[in-house]
Order: sequence, then structure tokens, then C-alpha cells
Amino acid sequence: MRAGSVLGIGSVIALCTLGLLASDYLLQIATLVLIESIAVIGLGFLTGFAGRISLAQGALYGVGAYSAALLVTRLGLPPLLGLPIAILAASIVGTALGAPAIRLSGLYFVMSTIGMQQILWLLLMHWSGLTGGPQGVRDIPALSIAGFAFDTPARFYIAALIGAVTSYLLARLVVASRFGLFLRAVADDELASATTGVAVLRAKATALALSGGWAGAAGFLHAYYLRYVHPDMFTLDLSVVFLTMAMFGGYRSLEGMLLASAILGGASEYLRPFGQFRLVAYGGLLVLSMMFFPRGLLAVLPVRWRR
Amino acid sequence: MLAQLLVGGLGTGCIYALVGLGFTLVYRTLRMVNFAQGQVFMAGTFLGLFGARQFGLSALPLLLLVAAISFAIGMLLERMVFRRLYASHEVFVVGAIGLGVMIENGFRIVYPEPLPFPKIFGAGVYHLHGAVFQKTYLWILIVTLALVVTLHVLFAYTRTGRALRAVASDGEIAATMGVNVQRAIGATFGLSFAVAAVAGVLIGPLYFVSPDLGDMVGLKAFSAAVLGGINSVVGTILGGLALGLMEALAAFYISTDYKDLLAFSILMLMLLVRPQGLLGRVVPVKV
Repeated sequence: MRAGSVLGIGSVIALCTLGLLASDYLLQIATLVLIESIAVIGLGFLTGFAGRISLAQGALYGVGAYSAALLVTRLGLPPLLGLPIAILAASIVGTALGAPAIRLSGLYFVMSTIGMQQILWLLLMHWSGLTGGPQGVRDIPALSIAGFAFDTPARFYIAALIGAVTSYLLARLVVASRFGLFLRAVADDELASATTGVAVLRAKATALALSGGWAGAAGFLHAYYLRYVHPDMFTLDLSVVFLTMAMFGGYRSLEGMLLASAILGGASEYLRPFGQFRLVAYGGLLVLSMMFFPRGLLAVLPVRWRR
Repeated sequence: MLAQLLVGGLGTGCIYALVGLGFTLVYRTLRMVNFAQGQVFMAGTFLGLFGARQFGLSALPLLLLVAAISFAIGMLLERMVFRRLYASHEVFVVGAIGLGVMIENGFRIVYPEPLPFPKIFGAGVYHLHGAVFQKTYLWILIVTLALVVTLHVLFAYTRTGRALRAVASDGEIAATMGVNVQRAIGATFGLSFAVAAVAGVLIGPLYFVSPDLGDMVGLKAFSAAVLGGINSVVGTILGGLALGLMEALAAFYISTDYKDLLAFSILMLMLLVRPQGLLGRVVPVKV
């Protein structure tokens, strides 16, 4: 545990130094990885803990991003006010669409989340009156809090880092709580946990709400990161990426999910030498990781290294 | 106008039915969903394009050749890739999607621009009660019917088909009865690849073809399979036809923009109300 916190503080210091030293280009990639890691950790509540995998996280991320973007561009609300609203919006949409299906067995739930992902994406694309349709939402101002604008890559990187660290620490609290225990019990054996007094449906619905909330927060940052949102940023492909990150990291390991976000999130960069074969190589990375590490990356480490 | 809509909808429905059959064949054997099915369909289109352009094959030999090659590729991929993904359904889902990404982007390198597909089924049109439709539609209907009959005969009357059904209902018991389970699963993948690829050739002449052709068709065919019953062959075929017809009507009477919403709304509703689909049976789980 102690070694763990040393490692944690060490990596935060390392990431801060990166913010001071690295080139803008590298920082922008690192920022995206940090933002995506928030959505991945949110998804982790479902995959690792409630035993339900979702392919709608990308769309909920989009709901968060669109909420933030529309509130600031259409209503002119202060950016920070968008954060709670983006979190709430994604959480409510995720729970409303997901909760009826959560009692279904694993594979049926996955199928229904594909429907959810596609429906949300189609609405973003075609409900032009609200979302701007295929035009997207442009001219999102820089994120500014109390007069301080996060308007350079280095400054926004710090904002994303704060977001990612907060999301990680909050997630740890959730996982360590009594509710986290309920979730693990439900994932291990629904019937047994129900007989020992866990309100199974309520636990799973709460996991849905949390994972939507985390997606909303990540979406909020995404909107201010690119300062432009478009429906095609939030397709099924993105949901697949999130799901792979959440699974590839390792069963129930928040640290593993962060590691996987970095490995797969950075993939578009280090696969650059593959040139036009980049996306083929990326697909290959997904297939091979599932073929050879079905239990996640950390499963190859010896047990005592895992915590 | 109605006749025109019905012909168009039936044509699309046949395509959904065939691609959906690919999902069903694998699902009822393994309880896994192969989300690379849409890309297999697209690969079939390009295989057909290649055969028609390079070797000038006519319709029937081309369809047979594409079916045979896809069957072999399906068996090969089962042995090399899918077999290592049976750990759990989520591993399979992500692995299959990854494979789909590889296939799609592989084709994109070779064929970056949308291409016209040769009119292998003839360029003429038919007139029927005021509806005008290309000859391709007749081929779609006939080939779909022929494939369905072939599959029915295969499953109902041949030794191989009985072995495949035995493995689908219980692999372990089938193995003790001397069925080569691995080979049966391989053949199942082969069949699922073959029907989807044939569907790809059938639809080719109707559109300009591009590597993202399979994305939407794959997911809609999947929704159609869930509508009819993803573990029922008959259900999937009817689900495909029903979805094709409903989409054609919705596009005309409601809105083309929201036509695509229909399939996915049906998908979510069916899973809530009747997850086994209209014609599917519930397989009781023994504890």
C-alpha cells in the first residue's frame, strides 16, 4: 500500500514535469490520454466491478461533450458550470437507457448497449436543431476558471491532469467503499450476493450512473480540449477503444486501466511508422491483445506485483 | 409507389437476412457474436469486384467462387484467430471487432476511393405494377431463396448438418458421440463467412462500393437477427425481411434521416421485451 502511494505520487510528479518540459505536440497526445482515462475508469465500474460490459461509453462521452459545448456556446453559461451538468446529463442518459437492460444476462446487455450507442450517435447527427447535426459545434471558448484561461497546451494539460487524478482518487474511494464491495459480489455471483442481502439491481444501476457520470466529465474536458465537437468523434469505434482499454488493463485494476489507456491511447502515435498500415496495425493490436492477454495486461505479472 | 417500396425493402431485407444468418450460425453454436460480420460482407463485395474485373467472371461462377473462397477463409480464421478468443464473450466481442478494423482498413489501403461495381446481373430493368426495379433485385431474391433452401437441406438431411446441429445444441455431448467438434465449429464459421460474402456480391451492383460498406449493414443485420431470434435460422431470415421492409416504408413515410434509428430502436426494445427474439426459444440454464 505504501509502495503504492509512493508510486502514485511519483507518477503525478513525473507527469507534472512532463507538462513543463515536453513539446506542445507530445502534451496534446498526453492530454487526450488523460481525458480518455477518465471515461475508461468510468467504464471500469461496469466491466470490472459489475460484470457488465458496455459499448455505449463513447456515446455517453459525446453526451457530456455536447452538453458542455452547447451550454457555453448557446446559453453562454460559465464553462465550469458545464461540468456538473455534463456529468448529470451523461449519467441520466446512460441510466435511463441502460437500466431497463441491466437485468439481462451479459451478452444481451452488450447487444443493447450497441443499440444505445447507435441511437445516441444518430441523434447527435440528425437532431440538427439541438446539436447542429453534421456541422458540429464550433467556437467553443477556452476553458477558464475565475479569470484563469487554460488556453495553451501546457495549461490545458494541467487541467486534464487534475481531472484524471481526481477521477482516479474518487474511483478508488468508490471501489473501497461498501458499495464497491457490493459490486464485486454482484460480479462474482449475482445469485449468491442477492441471497446475502445485496440489492443487485440497485447496485448495477448505480454502477451505470457512475460510469455515465465519469464519461460525462471526460466529455466535458474533451469539448474544451478540441474546442470543437462533431458527432463522428463519438462513434462505436470510440466505444470499442474505451472497452478495450478497460479490459486490456486487467480485471478490476484501476492502475491497469490507466496503463492500458496510455498504451492504446498513444497507439496512434507510436504506430506512425506503419504509415498507411497504421489502422490495420491498430486492429491487430486489439485482436492480439485479446488473443494473448484475455485477462488483461497485468495478469502476466506475478501475483505479488499486482497488489 | 408502394410496389416500388416493397421491392426495394425486400431486396435490402434479403441482404440483412443473409448477413444476419452469419451472426446466427456462430451465435447458436458458440453463444458468441462475431461483430466482424459486416466487414466479411464488405470483403465479399470486393472479392466479387476483383473476380468480375480481373477475370470477367459472369454472375453464377462468381457467386460460387466467392462462396468457396470465403468458406475457406472463415475456416482458416477460426483456426488462427477466433479459436483463441473463446475465453469469454467480451474477449470475443473485442477481438472480433479488432479483426473487423483490420479487414476494413486493409481494404481501404487497396481501394481508397468508392468504385462502381460491374453490372454482373445485367443492366436491364423489370416493370411490375408500376414499380421499376433493376435485374439485380431478382437475383437477390432468387439467390437468397436458393441459399436458404440449401442451408435447410444441409442442416436437416445431411450427416455434416446433423453434426453441426449437435455441436450447436451441446458441444460436449456431441464430442462424446464422435463428432469432430473443432471441425464443426470451423465449418460453422466457414458457412457464416460464405453467406455474408455472397450477400456482399449481390448488393455490389446497386451501389458504389467502398470499404465502410459493411459498418451499418453489419449492425443492422445484427439487429434483424435479434428481432427474429438470434438463435433461430428461420427467425433471422424473417427478421431480416421484416427490417428491410419496415425501413423502406419508414424512409418514405416518416423520414430518411431517422430511418436508421428504426433498426436500433427495435434492437433495444426486443432485448427488453423478448430477448430471445420473435421466433427464438429460451434455452433454460441449468445450475
